Amino acid sequence: EGALEQYLDDTMKNPSIVGVLCTDAQGHNLGCRGSLSDEHGGVVSVLARQAASLTKDPTDSPTVCLESDCGNILVRTHGTITVAVHKMAS
Amino acid sequence: MGCCYSSESETTEQDVNERKPLIDPNQDRKPTNGMERNTDSLPSNRTDEQALLTVILQRTAQNIIDVSAVDSQGMEQHEYMDRARQYSTKLEVLSRTLSQKKPVPLPSLTSQPHQVLAADLVPFTDVQQVSKIAAYAYSAISQIKVDAKEELVVQFAIP
Repeated sequence: EGALEQYLDDTMKNPSIVGVLCTDAQGHNLGCRGSLSDEHGGVVSVLARQAASLTKDPTDSPTVCLESDCGNILVRTHGTITVAVHKMAS
Repeated sequence: MGCCYSSESETTEQDVNERKPLIDPNQDRKPTNGMERNTDSLPSNRTDEQALLTVILQRTAQNIIDVSAVDSQGMEQHEYMDRARQYSTKLEVLSRTLSQKKPVPLPSLTSQPHQVLAADLVPFTDVQQVSKIAAYAYSAISQIKVDAKEELVVQFAIP
C-alpha cells in the first residue's frame, strides 16, 4: 500500500488542501490525512452513494460539495473507492 | 397513545383503581371463549398444578379487556359524568408530572448560512482536481497486493 500512502502525502503537500480521506464502498477507511479521519469514513461513503442514486446514468459519478465557512469538502466516487478532500477556499 | 401506554408500566394504587374493569369478572356471564367453561368442569380435588393454572387463568381473564362483551352493564348518566371527571383530573395530574423531553439539536455546519450560500461557487478546477485525485487513488489502491514472503502451508517433519 506504499503507492497509496505516498500519493496521499503528495496530495497533502498542496497548501489549500487540509484533509484527504479514502474509503471503500462500505465506509471502511483505506487511508486518511489531516482534518479527515476514521470516523468520517462512514458518512462520506454514504453521502457519495446517496448522491449517485440521484442520477440514472451509472457512469456519471457526482461530486458532492459541502460548503462551509471553514472550507469545502468535496467527495467523489471512482470505481469502488470514495475519496473526500477538505480544501480551504483560496 | 402515549399516556395510556405509560400507565401500564407503573401500576400504582391510583392506576389500579383506573384499570379496574367495569364489569365484575366474578359475575356469571357468557364467555366468548371456552376457557371459563373448562374451569368449571375440573374435578373438585385440585392438585397444586391445577390450582396454579387456575390462578394464571384468572389473572389473564382479569387483565383481558373484552371489547366484545355480550352483556355490558349500562351506566347511569350521573355515574358516567362522575367517572369522566375523575379520569380527567387524574390525567391532568399525570400530564403535569410527565417531564418534557427536549429534542437533541442537530449539529450545524456554519453559523452564517447567508454568507456561505452567497459566496462563490466551488471552482470547477477544484472539482476536476478532486476527480483526478480520486482516479489516482483508485489506481494506487489497485496496486495493493499480497506479497508472499514464505510458504503458507508447511509440512511438519515428524521424526
